Order: sequence, then C-alpha cells, then structure tokens
Amino acid sequence: MRKLVKHAGRMVIVLLLGGFLGATLVRIAPGYGVDEEELDSRLSQESLQALRQSQVHDRNLASFYLRYWAQLLHGNFGFSVALHEPVRQLLAERFPETLKSIGMGLAIGWMFGLGLATTAVMARSSVIDVGASLLATILLCIPAAVLALLFVIAQAPGRLVIGLVVFPKIFHYARNLLVRSVALPHVLTARAKGLGGLRVFVWHVLPVAAPQLFALAGVSVCIAFAAAIPVEVLCDLPGIGQLAWKAALSRDLELLVNLTMIVTLITLLANSAAELVAQPMRAGEV
Amino acid sequence: MRRRLILSFLLIALLVNAAAVRAQAGNQLRFCLGSEPKTFDPLLVADDASETVRYLTGGVLMRLNRRSQQLEPELATSWRVTQKGNAITFMLRENVRFSDGTSFSAEDVAYTMQRLMDPALHSPTGDSFRSSDGKVLTQVAGKNRITITFSAPIVGLDKLFDQVAIVSARSPQKERAVLGPYYLAENKAGSYLLLKRNSNYWKHDAAGRQLPYIDSVRLDIQQNRDIEMLRLTRGEIDFINSLNGEYFDKLAARAPQMAFDAGVSLDSEEMWFNLVPTAPLPDYKKAWFASTNFRRAISASIHRDDLARVVFRGHARPAVSWISPANQFWFNQRLRPHAFDRNVALQALGQDGFRLQNGVLRDRGGHAVEFSVITNAGNKDRERMATMIQQDLGGIGIRLNVVTLDFPSLIERITRSFNYEACLLGLVNDDLDPNAQMNVWLSSAENHQWNPSQKAPATAWEAEIDGLMRAQAASLDVKKRKQAIDRVQQIVWEQEPFIYLVNKDALSAISAGLHNAHPVVLRPQVYWNIDQLTLGTEVARNR
Repeated sequence: MRKLVKHAGRMVIVLLLGGFLGATLVRIAPGYGVDEEELDSRLSQESLQALRQSQVHDRNLASFYLRYWAQLLHGNFGFSVALHEPVRQLLAERFPETLKSIGMGLAIGWMFGLGLATTAVMARSSVIDVGASLLATILLCIPAAVLALLFVIAQAPGRLVIGLVVFPKIFHYARNLLVRSVALPHVLTARAKGLGGLRVFVWHVLPVAAPQLFALAGVSVCIAFAAAIPVEVLCDLPGIGQLAWKAALSRDLELLVNLTMIVTLITLLANSAAELVAQPMRAGEV
Repeated sequence: MRRRLILSFLLIALLVNAAAVRAQAGNQLRFCLGSEPKTFDPLLVADDASETVRYLTGGVLMRLNRRSQQLEPELATSWRVTQKGNAITFMLRENVRFSDGTSFSAEDVAYTMQRLMDPALHSPTGDSFRSSDGKVLTQVAGKNRITITFSAPIVGLDKLFDQVAIVSARSPQKERAVLGPYYLAENKAGSYLLLKRNSNYWKHDAAGRQLPYIDSVRLDIQQNRDIEMLRLTRGEIDFINSLNGEYFDKLAARAPQMAFDAGVSLDSEEMWFNLVPTAPLPDYKKAWFASTNFRRAISASIHRDDLARVVFRGHARPAVSWISPANQFWFNQRLRPHAFDRNVALQALGQDGFRLQNGVLRDRGGHAVEFSVITNAGNKDRERMATMIQQDLGGIGIRLNVVTLDFPSLIERITRSFNYEACLLGLVNDDLDPNAQMNVWLSSAENHQWNPSQKAPATAWEAEIDGLMRAQAASLDVKKRKQAIDRVQQIVWEQEPFIYLVNKDALSAISAGLHNAHPVVLRPQVYWNIDQLTLGTEVARNR
C-alpha cells in the first residue's frame, strides 16, 4: 500500500512538472501566437490588431497553467484553437484509434520479438538466430516515418508499422536476456538432468527473465506511443499521434499540454505497473 | 404487339434511368484540403481551406465566372451601381430557400451586410468594402429589392460581392443554413469534412434537372503533398487543385490526360530585404539593403529564366511586377523582366563603393557581403529557388545563407521581431483589381513588408506610391486608375523593394473520371463550376 501511494505521489509530481515544462516549451517556441492570416492584405489595421490581440490571451504562462489546472479539476480540458473543438471531444474521438494502433503494434512486436528470441535461444538454432537478428537490425535502422511511407506506397495497413518498430527492440533485449538466463548454473543443471526444453523455459528461464521483461513491457508502451506520431501522420490515421502533430504545427497550447500530460501519464502508468509487478518477483529471487 | 413493344421500351427506359439515378446517388467527389478550415462562418473566412468550404456551400448574389472573368447573376437577377460608386441596388431571385428550408429575402442580404460591415467582427471580406469610416446603410424595398449604400465610393464594388456568402437572418442554424450547392453535413476535426447536396439549391440545368450533379463532396485534410499525389494516382481522390512543377511533370509523363497547365497565374514569388530602421541588424547591412543600387544589383544577378526552367520545370515565367501578366488589363505591358547580367550588377554595386576582391564582394568599409534569406520550410520550390539564388549571387562574390523556418516562426520574424535580413516568399493573389493590395503598398500599412507601419513615408518613391494608390482608390475613372497603377508598377520595377522572381503557372491534376472540369487560372482552379461537375459511373461505383 505504501508503495502504491509512493508511486502515485511520484506520478502526480512528474505529471505536474511534465505539463508545465510542455506548456513552457510551447509558449517560448518561435511563432507562438502568430497566425498566417496576418499576411492577408485585405485586413484593415484594426482587424490586424484585433487578430494579434486574439492570439496573445495566454501571455502569462503561470496564470495559464493555474487556470488550466483549475478547469481540468472541473473536467474541462480546454479548447483547441487549431481544430476549433473542445479538447475533451477531440481526445474522445481519437483515443480509441490510437489505442487500437498501439495495441496491435504491441501485440505484433511482442509476439514476434519474444517468440523469435525464445525460439532462437531455446532451439539453439543459429539460422533462426542470425535471420531474426538481421531482420531486427534492419528494422532498427529504418526510421518509423520511412517505414510508414513504405506502407503507404504499398497500400498496407499502417498500424503494422508500430509492430515493426516495437519488434526489434523486444527481440534484441529479450534475446540477450534469455541467452544470459539459459547460461545460469541452475538452468544448465536442469538441462543436464534431462528436463524438456519447454519445462526448462517455463520453470527455470522465464522466472529469472520475467522482472526485466516486465520492465521492457513498460518501455515498449512508450516506444509504441512515440512511433504512433509519424505513423498516424503519414498513414492518415486519425489518432492521438496525428493530433499531436497538428497541435505542434499550430502551436495549440491547450491541446499540446493535454497531450503531453496524457503521454506522460501513460508512460508513468506503464512503467509503474511494470515495476510493481516485477518488484515482488525480484524480491522472491533474493 | 405494338402495346407490348411500347411497354417494353418504357420498362427499359425506366431501368436505364433508375440505374443512372442509382449511379448518381452513390457518387461522391473527393479531394484534399491542405489544412483544417479555421472557420465555417462565411463572413470570417480568411484561409484557403475555409474559402473552399465557403465556395462550395455559400450562395452569393453574383459570381465572377472564373473562365470568362465576367460577373454572372446568382441570387441577384440584376444589379446597378450608382454613378458615385458608393451604392448598389440588387433585384433578388424569388422562391429561393436556404438548405434548412428557411426562405431567402432581401432581409437576409441586409442582415449579411450589416453583420459583415460590423467593425467588431473584423471580417477580411468586410474590410475589402471599407474604403472609409462610416456605416453601411441597407434599404429593403420589398421582398426582392435592396439598396446597399456605403459611406464612400468603392472601386470595383460589384465584383466584391463574389466573396459575400449570404447568411440567413432567421434560421436557427445561423450560418450553417446555406444557399450554395452543398451544406456541411459532417466535420471530423483534423480528418475530413463531408458536404452533402443542398436539396433546396435554386439552380437547374437546361433540362430542368436540379444542380449539382454530384451528391456529396468529401474533403480530406491532408498536409503531405506526396501522399495527396499518391492518392490521386490510386483514384482515391478526384483532383488536386494546385500542383508544383515537379509533380506536374511526373504526372504528365505517366498520365498526360490528367495534367493541366492553365497558363500563368496571378501568384508571384518574390524576395525582399529588411528595410526596417529598428531591425536588429548591423548598420552597414542596413545601408546595403537601403541602397537602390544594391537591390538592383541583386536583381540583375538572379537568373530568372533558370529559376523558371529548373525549379518550375518551365511552368513559370520571369516576373516583372506585382501584377501578373495573367491580369491583362492591369499589367503594365511596357515593363520587361530584369535581365540577368552580372556586369550590370557589378556596375551598380561599384557606384555604391562595393568592390570584388579575390572572388569576395566587399563594401566601402571592407565588410564581406554576406546575408541570409529566410523562407518557409517544406516548400520545395522555394528551397530550390533559394539554392539557385545562392549560386547566382556567388557569381558576384556574395555569400548567401539559406535559412528555412516553419511558417509561424517566419511570420513572427517578418511581422514582429524583424530579425531577418532577406525573405523569399510568394504572394497569393485572388483579386484581379489591384486595389485589393492597398495594404501592401501604403507605407503606413502593416503588410508593407519591407518596412511596415511607417509614420511618414521613409523615401520619396514610397510617398509617390502612397499618393498614387490613394488616388486610384478614390477614382471611379478606370483610365485614370490604370495610369496610376502603371506608374506604381514602374516605380516598383525601378526601386525593387520587392524583387519579383517568377509568376507560376496554374497547374492542376484531374482524374479521368471527373467530367466537365475546365481548369482555369483563378481560384478555385478546378472546381469553380462545382455544380456542373459530374463523376463517371466507374468512379461512382467504386465509392
């Protein structure tokens, strides 16, 4: 219980700081509060001044952030000036799309990454090991945006790209972890005693590797979220990633602060969950 | 037997008609918008995307035919501008209804004009009508007649109504009730807009069939031009309104029937130096930029033909003036593009004490001539132009640094911080009448880019431009206005506060399945006759 409270407290502090830093970065970014309409030669001096005035409503960052939190506590996420809709509505519309993409990407990445790593290590097959390592290395070298573009050209489902981004990281980490685990004395003894491969893996390798695999699970959620931005933008998937891109381009302060907080929250939740699950296991090991 | 034959014929005719109707019912026009519309209020439109929605949904009193460039009656059957040029009387079409069924009358026009001209609204369209302070008076004489009186004469008054979409004074849907061919049915912010056919649209074709022919229009928000092009070639969208030379040539090589070059457009690409006295630049650089000889030398050392040939693949012309040759009446035919001549450039520089030493140009004080030009990132044409200008200026010993910035950052620099040396940008021009550019040419204007918001004209030639622009705005004599505008073009050509580079062609791409499309130079190039467009049955079937 104390651990949970500690985690929750840490999360709130990081969330507050993350949101404030996000708002600060947007606010001091060049071009904040500037609209290309200002170059419209039809506008009179008065209209131009009025347009400029309308852009500077959040001049004081601290007051903006306090106001933001006050309205957030009342369930109001603010209004997107770029997309002309309440942020809450935008998030509600787009979140399922991103969850679907990330869910599929994580499932694919873990299935192939862990599956190939386990097969390569447990079957001691150099062909699978070299082949999968080569594939993972190639995928690691290709930026997510390039993969997304290739999928657009090939008219393939863009969601798969997130899986291909997650896969090499899972594979490399899991493979190295499993190689280390199978070399442990108790695993060698179990093998020497003639235990079957599956039994050795389930009873002797997996319990040792599990805490670190859980930690990897937390990190993989962050990787998938980061990949969602270029993938959704290029593959035209109307999710949170695409929203973040549009918000950044238009310096949409309220939307960006909300998105920063959401990404921070998800990252913290994923990592905390992994840590909370892994910790008792590590304690058990000791 | 005969009766049976007639019945069979009628049955076949019915089936064919039903099939045709079904094909029509399923048809949806699709194209991309480069950004999210900033407003759906037709009176507040300022950006391209909102303008597209306004064009497709808004009903106007008269429409400028983009092909003939003549005004045609729409909701107004006739109109008359008074001799003073400050009032206009419209006779309105009868039995017209908004998309929600509310009837249209002169009250709606009066309401629209009062709202449009409300100074608190800050409408760009309304500002076009604002030649002086004072209220607009609307006098409704019956259901179908209205006189609108302005406080001062307005040049080209009738043409300005092409931009005024009439809004309902009584509809509970407010500006969502429209008189145009489509109405906004769905808006998925940041993703797409769906416009559906307005069943109350007043227009019918010669056969009496209600227009438009296409049932719905889907506008996908797509910023990436590569993907837009890819979607066109796959048949996912029906046209691209504006293409660059590179894409145009690629498309022309693969599917020449899809690529259309309507000729030189009204848009220009130009470069200017920062002449703001308070700009955070060293004094010696300010002195270079303020010198007419320096600006002329830069202009003479830029090979405009190469820019047109290489960057725009031949789909552009060296620019002469702030008015494009496409604007035949207002363009000053006596002017010619500045020729590429390095000797002329070096001579002009020599007059100001510049000298070329070991391939490096130095000013009187020994400073090597080096400056940076900012342009907007992501615009391939401008980035390439900047690179070519960099090479051209290298030929006279000038080192040019190219800096690409995202658009908001660039605007901040040219309008607020003035922390830049030179800028390369394009001017998008929708209006044939040069009066629309008053806020660029008056030295007191905020959009007088090289040195905005001057309290008094900084130079004699700017004072002369101020006088000429004000004189033409106050005159209804077209000949006198033409003389004044010609002289302004002459001054700008001589002084080069803007170094005009090229006028681009209006390039567009249209799928074979879209019929009745006749791309033109004026915006919107492809769908200006939206209510006449039809989709082939194959396209309709696939959607």
